[in-house]
Amino acid sequence: MLETSKHNSYTVATLLIKEANLDVAEQFKTEMLQLVDKGISQIVVNFENVVYVDSSFLGALVSVLKYAMSKGGDIAVAKLNKDINNLFSLIRMNKVFKVYNSFPDVFA
Amino acid sequence: MPQIQKKILLVDDDRFITMLFDKALKSEGFQCFSANSVSQALEVLKTEMPDIILSDYQMPDVDGFEFRSIVLTDKRLKNIPFVFLTSYTDRDMIQRGLDMLAVDYIDKETPVPLVVSKLNNILQAIRKQHEKSMYEIRVAAEALNLSSVPALPPEIEGFKVNFLYKSFEDYPGGDFIDFIKVDNRFTFMVLGDVMGKKWGAWFFSFNFLSYIRSAIRLCVFDGDYSTASIIQKINKVIFMDPVLGDVLSTLSLLMIEQDTGKVYYSGAGDLPIIWYKASEKDCNRVSSSGLLLGVMADGQYNEEVITLASGDQLIVVSDGMIDFEVNGEKKSDYDLFFNSIKPKLGNGESFDLIKDETFSIQKSKEIVDDCSLIFIERL
Repeated sequence: MLETSKHNSYTVATLLIKEANLDVAEQFKTEMLQLVDKGISQIVVNFENVVYVDSSFLGALVSVLKYAMSKGGDIAVAKLNKDINNLFSLIRMNKVFKVYNSFPDVFA
Repeated sequence: MPQIQKKILLVDDDRFITMLFDKALKSEGFQCFSANSVSQALEVLKTEMPDIILSDYQMPDVDGFEFRSIVLTDKRLKNIPFVFLTSYTDRDMIQRGLDMLAVDYIDKETPVPLVVSKLNNILQAIRKQHEKSMYEIRVAAEALNLSSVPALPPEIEGFKVNFLYKSFEDYPGGDFIDFIKVDNRFTFMVLGDVMGKKWGAWFFSFNFLSYIRSAIRLCVFDGDYSTASIIQKINKVIFMDPVLGDVLSTLSLLMIEQDTGKVYYSGAGDLPIIWYKASEKDCNRVSSSGLLLGVMADGQYNEEVITLASGDQLIVVSDGMIDFEVNGEKKSDYDLFFNSIKPKLGNGESFDLIKDETFSIQKSKEIVDDCSLIFIERL
């Protein structure tokens, strides 16, 4: 479900799904935790293919962030569509995650 | 037919067959995805979650049995009902398919309307089984007196308070509502949404509610009536809880002061409250600043004070209220919700109008998550 690529000092994890919901939340969490356990803990999650995010998936995303932070890492999100971006602002997820429109040069 | 448009994945190397079924199933209200090879099918499954898969046995390169094995090893896909489509009525083949937990097989010679009926029957049988299990758990929950929404709204002199709650596909979910009347002066109102759906979220909603109820009571005993301070204490406990720390929840916490009409409000990752001001005949949004419960030790909570005049109304909602499904596409749109609610406010019948608008049978079909709403009006 995730395609990873190296980008400067961090890793981009691209979601290959359209609907980020309950059905995929657990698998997303597992794949992300595996990355963090491998020592990859600076991750920008790329949402460019995603059209809808539900609260279960957001829960998984925050849970991964907390884990990465406990390992000295950080998770950011990039390329949110307009609806998802609005949702992030509405429920203050933009205070929890760094939100990028495009991949930043440096993310730390 | 089931309420929501069901998605089906058709896999057959014979384009004529996929086109034939595609046409027939679409006219019966299914949303079809056709694949002419297993690799195409797996490509579709990367982004789609069909309700049922109908696949041929014999295909070049990767055959239907191998496809079934791949699906079975994928945690996300393994529970999708799988039906084999075959031009063979070879008993061994059928047995092999059924041994791989396929729910049924369908002979390609079967007339198309019969195939459609068979698929509908399979989906209906699965639904019935779900309903039966849900019923049993619900009975158990009721016996244990577990409920995440109150039976009735509170009676507060000078106010009209009511609430609406609709669970997603009739599963109990993560939304919770509570009213805590401290005395004749103060009443607390709680509306939250544990992130997640169905049973998992429902189970955790009791834990959250227990913490919230105790925190409110304990703070009030100590003379702390600040919603921001109460919500921060709740957040800290949840943040430190080894189990709940991984589960997140929104919370809107309001305290009504009966004599003055003041409403003190703090929120954790919740949606803005809609405030209808009778004097202006217009609606405003009141936003809170705090983070979802349990994300960070300091949730950055503030307290808004809303002074309600006679005729003013407040609407507090969970995020399910702003989720919509239009033409099979899901989206969250607060503005759309705000604009649909606005014309209903400032009316003696506002609550019933909202109920009819947002909780009608038609709207229920478009629901993609739990929906909750608290309505407050100063008389």
